[in-house]
Amino acid sequence: MDYAIEAKDHESIVRLRGRLTFNDHAKLRTLITEMQGSKGKRQILDLGNLEFVDSAGIGMLLIAHEEMGNADKQLVLRGAAGQVKRVLSVAQLGKIVTVED
Amino acid sequence: MIDTPVPAPPPLPDLQTCRILVVDDNRVNRHLLLALLERDGFHAVDVAEDGIDALERLPAFRPDLILLDLMMPRMDGFEMCRRLRADPQWQDLPVLVQSSLNQAGDRARAFAAGATDYVTKPLNALELLARVRIHLQKRALLRDLTQFRQRTEAELAFARRMQERLMPGPDRCAAVEAATGITVNSHFAPSSELGGDFWGMRPDSHHPGRLHLYLVDFSGHGVGAALNTFRLHAILQQTDFGGTDNPADALAAINRRLCTLLPRGQFATMLIGMIDPEAGCLRYASAGSTKPMVWAPGDAAPTPGDSAGLPLGLVGQATYETRELPLPPGGRLFLYSDAAIEIPVGADVLDDTGLAALIAPHLHEPDGARFLSTLTAALHATGPIDDDLTALLFTRRS
Repeated sequence: MDYAIEAKDHESIVRLRGRLTFNDHAKLRTLITEMQGSKGKRQILDLGNLEFVDSAGIGMLLIAHEEMGNADKQLVLRGAAGQVKRVLSVAQLGKIVTVED
Repeated sequence: MIDTPVPAPPPLPDLQTCRILVVDDNRVNRHLLLALLERDGFHAVDVAEDGIDALERLPAFRPDLILLDLMMPRMDGFEMCRRLRADPQWQDLPVLVQSSLNQAGDRARAFAAGATDYVTKPLNALELLARVRIHLQKRALLRDLTQFRQRTEAELAFARRMQERLMPGPDRCAAVEAATGITVNSHFAPSSELGGDFWGMRPDSHHPGRLHLYLVDFSGHGVGAALNTFRLHAILQQTDFGGTDNPADALAAINRRLCTLLPRGQFATMLIGMIDPEAGCLRYASAGSTKPMVWAPGDAAPTPGDSAGLPLGLVGQATYETRELPLPPGGRLFLYSDAAIEIPVGADVLDDTGLAALIAPHLHEPDGARFLSTLTAALHATGPIDDDLTALLFTRRS
């Protein structure tokens, strides 16, 4: 998984690319720290170019959601497609995290 | 300013007790080396006069390091080193060559014969002793690591057998078949020694013929996920599945227990269901599991069931939905962990539609075990499986 951050005053957009799995634990930890330190209230994870997420990846997204809550920020999962979208909807993650098309 | 305590490095073994074999045909050199080593605190030192003498002393003396001369009568250092390395028990033994041959070609030949290191004569005492200590330390650390690895492997193998015993074996399947008329076949393959999948079943004690079943998949895999399977198994042992007709209630209760136990970021997907032969259906609830598939005799394709639901361990107050799928006599229920649908196919994954297409030609294979082995072979042929794979087939007697 790779990511690129576009930070603005009120929100950050983080574009994830590739596959989000068990192996990306350290990378996502770093990303969460970066998001905590940025100014914007809304931290948007753009999942449009994410091809695949496994259960460990979902776990990491949930940790990100919790960490943003602790930092008084809001996590948004945006634009999921394909397998990622199917996984989010089967796990009904929309009940926990803000999910946008 | 307060000094933060620096963690002490792991204690190094007592190098002075290490055993060193000096091999040199020159008596003066032997004594010189012996004196050097003893002055530095090494007392377990033996000497040999040539290669043959040295090889003969190996089994009894069992050195931790050899100081080897090259030019010797009877058998030279090159030949001795080659013979030494041919024996697996001496493959890691440090061999420090000390020789007056100082051409690059000689060194290369010595290393090709299996030498660990090379110093040229005339010897520099400090350098020689420093090298001896470095090689002994490396050997001790390597040994330590090897022992640790062996112990870990043995413990993982043991834990794996424990985990396998959490799941129904052939005896249990036979008992279930006798009690309910439902044949059960299973395939369980963790991606590493331990896995995060597990499953179970129990005939209903209140309603003869009914069978309760579940399939669980913890997030991640490996030791952490495996420990969670033991936790959930303990909870399920205390759950009375027969107390309710409503699997959704049972699932909600399990979720409440699990929420207090799981660290954040960890969760499980689960399908819990009950085969009701009288009603001819599977009643089930899902916490984000894979889609259950059912088919009846004569069907050309499996029917998938809805499996949307919050995974276990995330929200304490989560509620679930009880759903139904038809399961007439002779009908089959097929359950699987997500490894089966996450196999990469091009830029996408196999998914449940791909899996359904894969099993469609074999729906009516009479031998359930063969159905599963054909399927797992087809899955492996589709692409790499890098997660725990569990597949279950329940067949109602027709």
